[in-house]
Amino acid sequence: MNEIAIRTEQLTRRFGALTAVDCVDLRVNAGQFFGFLGPNGAGKSTTIKMLTGLLAPSSGRMELLGLDFQRNPIDVKRQIGVVPEGMGLFERLTGSEYLHFVGRMYGLDGVTTEKRTAELLEFMQLADREKTLIADYSHGMQKKLALAAAVIHGPRILFLDEPFEGVDALAAGALKALLGRMTERGVTIFLTSHVLEIVERLCSHVAIIHQGRLVAQGSLEELRAGIPGTEGEKKTLEQIFLSIVGQSGGEQARLEELTWLT
Amino acid sequence: MADVIQMPGVAEQLKLIAGLRWNLLKNSLQRKNNRWDLIGIILAAGGSAMMVLGLCVAFYMGAYFFLTRNRASWMSLLFWAIFLWWQAVPILVAGFGANFEFRNLLRFPLSLRAFYILGLGYGFADFAAASSLCWIASMMVATAVGRVQLLPVMMLASLLFILVNVTLERLIGSWLEKIFANRRARELLVGLFVLSMVSMNFLNPALQRWGDYGTRPKIVHLVPYLSWLPGTLVGNALAAASDANSQALLLTVGGLLVWLGATSGLLWLRYRAQYLGEELSETAAPSAGKRGPRRQAASSVLPGFLSPPVAGVMRKEFHYLTRNGFSFITLILPPVMVMFFSMQFAGSNSQIKEHGLSPQAFFPAVMAYLILILLSPAYNSFAFEGHGIQSYFMAPVCMRDILVGKNLFLVCVVTFELAISLGVLIWRIGFPGFPLFLSTIAAAAFAVTGQLTIANWSALSFPKKMEIGKMKGQRNSGVAVWTAFGVQILIGGIATIVLLAGRWFGSSWLPVVVFVGLTAAALGGYVASLDPLSTLAERKKELLIETLCR
Repeated sequence: MNEIAIRTEQLTRRFGALTAVDCVDLRVNAGQFFGFLGPNGAGKSTTIKMLTGLLAPSSGRMELLGLDFQRNPIDVKRQIGVVPEGMGLFERLTGSEYLHFVGRMYGLDGVTTEKRTAELLEFMQLADREKTLIADYSHGMQKKLALAAAVIHGPRILFLDEPFEGVDALAAGALKALLGRMTERGVTIFLTSHVLEIVERLCSHVAIIHQGRLVAQGSLEELRAGIPGTEGEKKTLEQIFLSIVGQSGGEQARLEELTWLT
Repeated sequence: MADVIQMPGVAEQLKLIAGLRWNLLKNSLQRKNNRWDLIGIILAAGGSAMMVLGLCVAFYMGAYFFLTRNRASWMSLLFWAIFLWWQAVPILVAGFGANFEFRNLLRFPLSLRAFYILGLGYGFADFAAASSLCWIASMMVATAVGRVQLLPVMMLASLLFILVNVTLERLIGSWLEKIFANRRARELLVGLFVLSMVSMNFLNPALQRWGDYGTRPKIVHLVPYLSWLPGTLVGNALAAASDANSQALLLTVGGLLVWLGATSGLLWLRYRAQYLGEELSETAAPSAGKRGPRRQAASSVLPGFLSPPVAGVMRKEFHYLTRNGFSFITLILPPVMVMFFSMQFAGSNSQIKEHGLSPQAFFPAVMAYLILILLSPAYNSFAFEGHGIQSYFMAPVCMRDILVGKNLFLVCVVTFELAISLGVLIWRIGFPGFPLFLSTIAAAAFAVTGQLTIANWSALSFPKKMEIGKMKGQRNSGVAVWTAFGVQILIGGIATIVLLAGRWFGSSWLPVVVFVGLTAAALGGYVASLDPLSTLAERKKELLIETLCR
């Protein structure tokens, strides 16, 4: 039986009268490349924030690598890496200073931190910008640095909130290869993205959240099997997604109203 | 082909933008915090209106006095005051921050002419311009009442003066926008501004020492050259009209027209550059940079007993301090202020000579003042973290490590600053004797350790975002300011009582012993507070992240 990397039970987060995440039960096995999807405002970022300790849940339970997050936050955080929404960078540090800072925060010794910093900057093609402040990086460069910071301590679970947004095709290819190698080594990757083609290509398992509730979860094949359609037709993730969140066909009717544009 | 058949006229565009501004204001009030801000805005607006109305009376009386006493050329003084106000206030209000709001309009299909007129419209919509117009109007009323025959010239000259001012203000604003778009330039200018403000303190001592009152001040020689500037030209135009000197009148009005032509032409060129897509972005191009030798990590010089997170935070704080022009320059302040105070109030070289403060009083007073300045950032110690605050909560560390790292770094800075300031004090006013010297140091240690606990609580409970290289709105939250004020008064009061007790009992060593005891107690309180503060940080993390990542 596979080890469970992430398990949530009745995970809920309320903001006043609004329930952003509503009784979510997630199961992610170790070593899975897991895509977490949902329309805008569905509760993806709120869920990721709770799973990474940036937001306290209103109720429910989270277990990462068998550890209860609320009871062992430090032990859990030691084993996870995060690229959060907003990236969490200190803009007045240079790239190498930031990686050094993060390495030390995760308890790496100075020599290891220096070595990994140099290697990661080289891999992310940021080594020639060693003295440039992060504030002066382009958005894509900041994204690559945030990803480098998330993996510097060799996490067992990696949370990525829109990791490829603003990253050029060359760098994105290298990052995908890196993430693929990490999953082969047993690292669990929990990813959100609006680009469904990327999720379809990378992820073996997917969960879909809609209006705060988890509406689907499983492997791509399992999700395809649950969608009615022509026998033998292989549905794309986009079709699955639209079918599950109940938007399929709706856009056609709305488009017909825009006669002046279409 | 787009469906745009006819472009809206300039008046329609102005109306649309006025509507946009109104909707932005109206919608911003839907947030609770902004509604509280509205009360502040209303109070500030009431105060400003009182000031403007009061000065309207003053300008009216001044203009009436000059015109009825046949001193029309003295009107220049009033116009100069308005000129300086109109040009300086917008710069100070902008607070060295780039403001791209007006440029954003360029994404709409505006003509260059409409863009130019909109720019001038924005120029009339700020407080400095509105108040200046009120004062000029009050001067016109004074002219109508006092010397009605000068009213046509007053109206013409004032109109030209207003147009010169608004175009010049927009021109300066446009150039500042271009300069401040560059982060380094912005930070450098903020630093220079702070330095110039500090330098003002030395004007009086310098004049006292080197000023030569036997001859005319050199600045008087500049006065004739001011006659070609707008403020003087308006006064001279009125004087020429009053003397029925048509040649001088033509010359001065011509001078104002030349000014208007020059400022309008230059402003047109600036707006044209913006209209054609001037690049103000400071993001570096993705070209390969030169790779230098790797520097030794600063943490390698930090003591080995520090845990990696504490050392990491200290190193990060060091980098942030050296890259924050404003904070870095405030480090120059303590020794400079010691120099200034000693020149003014104490020592053999003070201006008040034998009435100067004794070293026994001056020594602890100056130290207390320096601690007040240096400890103030601790009450909002997360101010500059921005999105980086998330790193603290994502990393496997307790907030106690972060707080200890930040506090240790601050203590190092304070110790360094106090050591230099003590050196300057001893040089300027002499050594106060061992008992007072040691009791001052012990009191400083008590004041620092005593404040850190409360400062940490304040930083976690009342965070306020600040940005490096900006001046506008860069202050701690009101509660943090009052907390700091209260704590400093309390600690200052305790220190004063202890020092007075030493005198009362005739024991110069008593304060040293008491302050050492108080420091030990404060240190114990500090250590005991770290775990509860970590718990508090966990409770406040959403507030911290929301406030600082905004």
